[in-house]
Amino acid sequence: MTINRVAQRHWHALDDDRVVGRGEAFRRPDRRIFLSIDAWHGAVFDQLATVMLPDLPRPLFTVVDEADHELTSHWRRAGFQIRGREYEYRVPTDPRLTGLSAAPLPPGLTTLGFGAAAPEPLGALDRVIRAEIEAGVGWQQMPAEVMHRPDGTALDPSRFAVAVHRGDYVALLRLTPVRQPRIGLIAVTADLRRRGIARALLASVLGSLHRSGIPIASADVNESNTAAVALFDGIGAVPQSSNLELVLR
Amino acid sequence: MPERGDQHEKGKTMAHTTNGIEVEGRVVECLRNATFRVELPNGHLVLAHISGKIRRNYIKIVLQDRVLVELSPYDLTRGRILFRYRT
Repeated sequence: MTINRVAQRHWHALDDDRVVGRGEAFRRPDRRIFLSIDAWHGAVFDQLATVMLPDLPRPLFTVVDEADHELTSHWRRAGFQIRGREYEYRVPTDPRLTGLSAAPLPPGLTTLGFGAAAPEPLGALDRVIRAEIEAGVGWQQMPAEVMHRPDGTALDPSRFAVAVHRGDYVALLRLTPVRQPRIGLIAVTADLRRRGIARALLASVLGSLHRSGIPIASADVNESNTAAVALFDGIGAVPQSSNLELVLR
Repeated sequence: MPERGDQHEKGKTMAHTTNGIEVEGRVVECLRNATFRVELPNGHLVLAHISGKIRRNYIKIVLQDRVLVELSPYDLTRGRILFRYRT
């Protein structure tokens, strides 16, 4: 078995010229370095980690499915520790299950469905929310889907539902329209939180999905985001899996 | 966040490379321990984990997804999901 560094951030484990393991280091837009190691045997994983880790700066991160005990133990053996947990919620859309049909809209609030938001105020709202995250908990506490984008990247209004309060865009919900729609981001501007706006936006979006014949959506929620956990728990959503973020300092 | 685009040569059904055997398949069962049962075009079933790259990019694999699987050189009933196709 030999370990070769085949590029600056790529390693291969070779057994008789056959690639039996791969390691990669990848810098995410939030500047953190994430590792992945794929190996058919634990011994190959360990050898890759032994060669890779001394060559990389700290801290290093990786993500594992919490149910994958074997992979988690490999990383822990390499010195990684649990830093956070992100739940994937299974979200019913039927108002009879979510209870959202009875959710009153906060005074002065209206919602715009997917594709109805104007690009310019949508972009402005996105910038405000991202700046608030940057100044608050920071990107490193947010699920991967909420990472910042390079400046100037246009938003696609067809992926966003928006809450409008007295004429101003104040909250957005981004949906990835794969086979099982996925709520990638739901956010309200800081000065209008705790007024039921996220819940009203969620009611609008889930109701729309339900009327389209889609019974289930999914959403990723960081366990440290207690408001989001309470919101999804409160509408009958159930965590169906979880990812652990591990760190080596 | 990278968009979930096709990163792999389209239309490929099987390839034998130094990386191992790569085969297209369809997810027919999502198991509880982060593994998936994938049916290959020849009807064989493979027990597959997801690759680190898929996990790192938070790409979700669900029932009926069409995927590219690398088979283990040590056990052809086991594999690793390298890629999820859009359809």
